[in-house]
Amino acid sequence: MTQLIWNGLFVGSFYALIALGYSMVYGIIKLLNFAHGDIYMVGAFIGFAVLSSVGVIPASMSITALLIVLLLTMIITGGIGVGIEYLAYRPLRNSPRLAVLITAVGASFTLEYGVSAIAGPNPKVFPVRLEGESFDFLGARISAPQIVLMVIAVVLMLSLNSYIQRTSMGRAMRAIALDPKGALLMGVNVNKIITWTFFIGSALAGAAGVMAGAYYGKIDFLMGFIIGLKAFTAAVIGGIGNIKGAMLGGLLLGLLEAFGSQWLGGQWRDVFTFGVLIAFLTLKPTGLLGERVTERV
Amino acid sequence: MSYFTHQDSVIYLTVAAVTVFVRRVFGLHVVTSKEMQTMKLRIPKVFAVGAVAAAMLATTGCGGILGGGGDKTADSGPIKIAAVIPMSGSSAPTGVYMKNGMQLAVNEINAKGGVLGRQLALDLEDGACDPTQAAAAANKAVSNGAVISVGGYCSGATLPTLPIFSKANIPMIIPAANSQDLVNQKLPNVFLINGTGVQQAAAAVKFMVKDGMKTVALVDDNTSYSKDIAAETKKDLASEGSVKTALATSVTAGESDYSSVVHDIMGAKPDMVYWTGYYQEGGLIINQLKAAGYQGKIMVADGSVDPSLVTIAGAANAEGVLATMTQTPDTIKGAETWIADYTKAFGAAPGPYSTQSYDAVRVAAEAMKQAKSTDGDAVTKALTAIDGFQIFSGPLKFTPEHTLSNGGFQILAVQGGKFVLKDTLN
Amino acid sequence: MSENVDTSRAPRRIGKPASRFSRLFESKQLGWGAFVVAIVFPFILATPYAMNIGTTAVIFILLASGLNIVVGYCGLLDLGYIAFMAVGAYTSGIVSKAWDLPILFTIPAVLVMCILAGLIIGGPTLRLRSDYLAIVTLGFGEIIRLTANNLSITGGPSGIYGIPGIELFGLKLSDSVPFYYFCVVVVSLLVLGSARLGKSRLGRAWRFVREDEDAAEAMGIHTYKVKLAAYIFGAMWGGLGGMLFAAHLSAISPQSFVFLQSALVLMAVVLGGMGNTRGVVVGAVAISLLPEFLRDMGNLRYVIFGVVLVAVMVLRPQGFWPSRAFEVERTDGESENADPGPGDSVSPAKGGTL
Repeated sequence: MTQLIWNGLFVGSFYALIALGYSMVYGIIKLLNFAHGDIYMVGAFIGFAVLSSVGVIPASMSITALLIVLLLTMIITGGIGVGIEYLAYRPLRNSPRLAVLITAVGASFTLEYGVSAIAGPNPKVFPVRLEGESFDFLGARISAPQIVLMVIAVVLMLSLNSYIQRTSMGRAMRAIALDPKGALLMGVNVNKIITWTFFIGSALAGAAGVMAGAYYGKIDFLMGFIIGLKAFTAAVIGGIGNIKGAMLGGLLLGLLEAFGSQWLGGQWRDVFTFGVLIAFLTLKPTGLLGERVTERV
Repeated sequence: MSYFTHQDSVIYLTVAAVTVFVRRVFGLHVVTSKEMQTMKLRIPKVFAVGAVAAAMLATTGCGGILGGGGDKTADSGPIKIAAVIPMSGSSAPTGVYMKNGMQLAVNEINAKGGVLGRQLALDLEDGACDPTQAAAAANKAVSNGAVISVGGYCSGATLPTLPIFSKANIPMIIPAANSQDLVNQKLPNVFLINGTGVQQAAAAVKFMVKDGMKTVALVDDNTSYSKDIAAETKKDLASEGSVKTALATSVTAGESDYSSVVHDIMGAKPDMVYWTGYYQEGGLIINQLKAAGYQGKIMVADGSVDPSLVTIAGAANAEGVLATMTQTPDTIKGAETWIADYTKAFGAAPGPYSTQSYDAVRVAAEAMKQAKSTDGDAVTKALTAIDGFQIFSGPLKFTPEHTLSNGGFQILAVQGGKFVLKDTLN
Repeated sequence: MSENVDTSRAPRRIGKPASRFSRLFESKQLGWGAFVVAIVFPFILATPYAMNIGTTAVIFILLASGLNIVVGYCGLLDLGYIAFMAVGAYTSGIVSKAWDLPILFTIPAVLVMCILAGLIIGGPTLRLRSDYLAIVTLGFGEIIRLTANNLSITGGPSGIYGIPGIELFGLKLSDSVPFYYFCVVVVSLLVLGSARLGKSRLGRAWRFVREDEDAAEAMGIHTYKVKLAAYIFGAMWGGLGGMLFAAHLSAISPQSFVFLQSALVLMAVVLGGMGNTRGVVVGAVAISLLPEFLRDMGNLRYVIFGVVLVAVMVLRPQGFWPSRAFEVERTDGESENADPGPGDSVSPAKGGTL
């Protein structure tokens, strides 16, 4: 039981990190960034490329090396996110939503198969593996790497939250989310803020990618697809557009999946997850923490 | 030409008639307002006449304009051997091993003068492990004039190619795909030279009993190949009686986190976990099982026998992992020269299904030699009659089901990061 | 959403008179031209391979024209369209194998199942915002595929094989050439049907919903019912496509119904020009034949697909061959002559009954 809870929370923290990017972008420009899950995959591959080009890293240094790679990857994936926004989304800012969604699908395709064309379709083995002792805690078996990753995830989420709540940039983001035109009139540089939002969201997804690579050890070019869907589900459960909701939704979805696959069997887990998504959207489309959004005409 | 028989012409006339009446019938039902009538959809007379003329052309049986494809089974020039294998998509790496194995056999046979005085030519078509693409690829091979097929990796993508080759009367020697569904259709022209799921399951159960296991957990990845082995193993264990199936579950391929299945396994506390899927997920499951403190044995099926399994799982975790596997060059005595030839020809070591693909071409050549012809029926007959032809898994003789009489499965174990022979099960 | 209204006017802003070239492409006879090309094709090339990719392309046209009803006419992004094809293919496969029926006899079952699937998927989700709908349909597509993979009635991961070919009036149409012709005829009828639907009263309601849902609602169109109708029509087209697909391949398995396939159908609709039947047909032919020509490129072709998708949306948001809004003709003056027949305009009272 405690093991299930722990497993759920651990997987959920990955969902939460990715869901944050979905939620931020959606909150600000009401765009469903379909390519977001693939940024996670690109992050894992960038981490892989950087680490393999460095060569052999002594085991004692692996945590430090990983943190440096994490930062580097976050910057690069952030840049990629900004690039996608600039090329694929910005020209369509005033177009119908359908058009933007389709470019998002196109961007997702380009990233997935672009990586497969560059790195090859085979799964890759991550050069650095987080290894560590496991110990029992209240009947759950917890390993040291899991603790490290959870701490990194929580630190990233908390700093994002205080960034959005405390800084002027964060205030500008919230202002745009509330009313883009009003924010523009009040002197907020909307384009700059949107670029910055994409940067932060993509950087978080990239970080999650590196962490997943280092923990699980295997990466492949389609790894972002399903997790992107799950992260979106998490964002919806928490209330899309709401930062705290995304975190809550991620953890909750992790727990739901852990228990769902226990009850129904592993092969039904994804069916269960998407069933939950549909149930939520039908019964409580605002999610747990979301506010009622009226579409302005 | 064969496409336009008298019976067919009736159909073409029907088609032409339907064309003419389409508008009237359709128009009556759909056009309800005058506005609709303003946008007329009138058949231009020229087209109607053209369509009828075309149909007439067909009825006269004037096949000259058809540029008869499909009948290019010329009796001279190289003998075309079709191979529908994955060259793109996620299974592309295995496709390369298979291609090289086939090419090696073709090169060797051609160097010795070919078959029936003609050279062999490999017609590689990308099936991409996708049923639609594989069907297109098979049709392409048939159109190219192939006389025998030696491809087939993913069972799901191989199934739709069976009727295509069988309609064209082309014998199939399937080197890798081994789902029971391929056998169940009882097609006369289909032969499997890889051990089937039934045989692999039998070998696994034999070893489990021999090794004194009391409970096992069966985990598959929800693909037809994997589920087949798991289901057969479960059946065999039930009839065996002494080993209990503590858990039979499936995971979704292509994910990273298998903690839920690991949790189930830890709860069931089996003596052995038998993973019947591929190495990508197998490596992760082994890793996560060990991290969770699993102490029992782990066995994997032949799809997981790959050096990458060890790197993904981590060398320490993979040590001692068992596997059910057909004979590979690594485990066959005297195969060193073959490995050397292969490595020299392609600059890389052989991999999964290299040997089976190599053998498939050799068996095909042998059958044509015995039949003294490339005619489908004759070759099929020769294949059925083949007895004692040496291939990697031993002397070849097909069962009435057209599978190997003995899958040749044996037990490997990981030692020092490599799969080595542990038990021949004899 | 005031911007949306502007973009909806985009096609109308093409003020200059149509060039001779584009008038050629607007010609009403074009459909028949395409039909004749499809009929004549086997006379030029009748190898099994050509027939195979020809049949695949024709079935793909059917799928694209079905998705066009949903995406092109009604503006609902469906990312799991292939699920309906799966429902159709599995229904016809299971029914025909279980009762030993000719596959054409399964059509009623296919249609019933597809309508049911459309209701189940569309029912709860069509009240959602458009972008939620996209991801929910994607989720549904995965649910259908995973369910087919997990159940034993659908044959599990290896699927169903040995599905009978088409038989009509005692004639076996399972040979490649007759089957191709059968598909051409059936698909032509259905494509024509979808084009007609787009021009019907319901079709105008669909476009109205697409352009401005709130205004449509205000004008008395029951938007939910109209959207559901689009969904169900799309489902039926997809299901019939699935039936032809099953008869064509004779073996179906969950691998045929992955998200990539949904994306390819969507791409055909988007590239060709949403809402324009001719454009969609051309798009479908291009998308289904291109992979065959690019066979040697492997995965790179999907990169190209992705880039093209983005580029088309950015540079030509209405697709290569966008639909000229049907209403345009009526502002020309000449069409004023046409009597406003019954149901000619979307009057609030009549629209409300939709």
